[in-house]
Amino acid sequence: MLWLAVLPQFPANATPSWPELAFRLGRYSPRVNLLSAGAGALRLELASSLRLFGGLEPLLERIRDDLAELCPDSIWAVAVTPLAALWIARGQPGTICPDQATTRSVLMKIALSALDLSPEIALRLTSFGLRRLGEVLVLPRASLGARLGQPFVLDLARALGEIEDPQTWFLFPERFDQNLELPAPVEAAPVLMFAARRLIAALSGWLVARNAAVCEIDWIITHGSGQQTILPLRFSRAVYAAPRIERVLKESLERLILAAPALGLRLIAEHSEVRDAQSAVLFDGMPAGGEALAELMDRLVARLGVNGVQGLRCHPDYRPEFASRPALGKTVATPAAKSGTDGETEMALPRHPSRPLWLIDPPEALRDYAGKPQHDGPLRLLSGPERIESGWWDGQEVRRDYFVAVDRHARWLWVFRDPRPGGGWFLQGLFS
Amino acid sequence: MIPALADVLQRPDIWRGDAIVVSPAPTLSSGFAELDAELPGGGWPCGQLIELLQQHEATGELTLLIPLLARLTRRGQTVVLVAPPHRVNAPAWAGAGVKLDFLRLLFPQKPSDFLWASLAALRCPEVAATLMWIDVRIANSLRRIHLAAGEGGGCAFLFRPLSAATEASPAPLRIQLETAAGTLRVVLLKRRGPPARRPFELVLPRPAIYPHELPHALAGGPPPVPGQRHSLVA
Repeated sequence: MLWLAVLPQFPANATPSWPELAFRLGRYSPRVNLLSAGAGALRLELASSLRLFGGLEPLLERIRDDLAELCPDSIWAVAVTPLAALWIARGQPGTICPDQATTRSVLMKIALSALDLSPEIALRLTSFGLRRLGEVLVLPRASLGARLGQPFVLDLARALGEIEDPQTWFLFPERFDQNLELPAPVEAAPVLMFAARRLIAALSGWLVARNAAVCEIDWIITHGSGQQTILPLRFSRAVYAAPRIERVLKESLERLILAAPALGLRLIAEHSEVRDAQSAVLFDGMPAGGEALAELMDRLVARLGVNGVQGLRCHPDYRPEFASRPALGKTVATPAAKSGTDGETEMALPRHPSRPLWLIDPPEALRDYAGKPQHDGPLRLLSGPERIESGWWDGQEVRRDYFVAVDRHARWLWVFRDPRPGGGWFLQGLFS
Repeated sequence: MIPALADVLQRPDIWRGDAIVVSPAPTLSSGFAELDAELPGGGWPCGQLIELLQQHEATGELTLLIPLLARLTRRGQTVVLVAPPHRVNAPAWAGAGVKLDFLRLLFPQKPSDFLWASLAALRCPEVAATLMWIDVRIANSLRRIHLAAGEGGGCAFLFRPLSAATEASPAPLRIQLETAAGTLRVVLLKRRGPPARRPFELVLPRPAIYPHELPHALAGGPPPVPGQRHSLVA
């Protein structure tokens, strides 16, 4: 076991938020122990995370970066037992004791004042003439216990790792809800990105610690006097990585216009789901299958709007204008839809497409000159008529005779004649 | 020849003036043998901007790309259309072999979003082909599109009016398309390699037989009698 003890010094103007710190550090280890009652410390079990982050030094580097952002003046230390880490953080901040021997030798040196002892015990130890922990540790434990009480001796044994010291873990809540007061009112939505980044880092830590991912999150921008703007973000597949969420939010904020200056920002994730087991990426910058596409679609939807990104599907209807429908919402094809078998087989194109690739919507009325449709000159009708008559049941009845036509520029057009009174010739498609 | 020189000439990025360049970029067959023979590398180059220029739309530019799009989507690769100028007729695309599940249409509204959406799609390594109908006015935009295509590595087709043919462009492949009698005439304005000798014509699948006896004089002829069913010429 390897423990990091952090004694955060929250900046004077910011409200101390223990959960935020716990969420943030939850990225590095789900085993977080919060000692907020009086002691004001947070402890993180690191041993199980060393391999993932490539060793103790790179891991501490990242944790220090996070702490520098949240509470710059925090003090910390690493030791093999939770109690020793706490004592060393107070007595010799910044010390790293990766093994039993170093922990013991550093403990010997620290002052007794770092132990945060009860005044009564502290007074007695001073009256014995003891200043450093080392001087206490060389004394026989049994007589120390008789004079100062068993709890003190047990603490010594726990700090040295002679007996177990089980901890209660911080429970990451089911629902993520964090808010942040902005230091100054913000008028332009993109500026909110700076504050949002901090909340996203906390959300990401919360997700990592819970081994979860989210499909939707809600941003609430408060303007004071009860006024607020809700900005929901939807993802085409569950996400957990902070940069991924940041990029989508950035596009959303670009197109958001604030009704009033923003005073606060709140991030809520109501539901999370279990993250898919996924092995680490083999090559840098090459995301796992479909991930890059999912991210692209999320960013496009965030910037262009829900209607700006569409799929396409056929709808069984004889009327051409109703036969194509946008497929909204389903922006990423499921991997199951990929057909591996017929992928490479070359498909013979139908030699004679009977339907045009482009549709003119609504159909363009054509002039009729001597019974022939005109479109930049007279059209030559090549095949037809093909009668399409449908839709009597929904009030959009059509009765049309379709022809394939060629115009002056030798372009292939799809025109129809509406034989009903008031009808005429229309251009509806381009065989592009 | 000195052996060292022979080695140098084998390199893919060395081009001898008398040969079509062996494109260092991977290419995808266009599905038209005549066209593949003229394209450096034997197909549409990936990761490079391809400009398709035409005087009027609907010369057959989509039918030209359909074999590529059909093959990509059937492999489960995504194709993105940025700002298509007309409605996409789903049954016709599906009938031509395109799997609609892997087709994405983007409809930017704001002027700045057209280029942004194109670049975003081009940069994504999982988009196999991007077709763009965007108005490129700012000189730098073409260069950005070309570079974005290089980042993503997919095929990038930009449709432009023929008037743009005289402007400089970073696109390594520029193709002018025009209609001929029932076929598509392809003029390779620019390619890596020796200049193309002359335009050539591609026979595209068309819904009827072109009336060669009357190439452009379309005025005459009796009006069709409605209701009378002509046999669809096969």
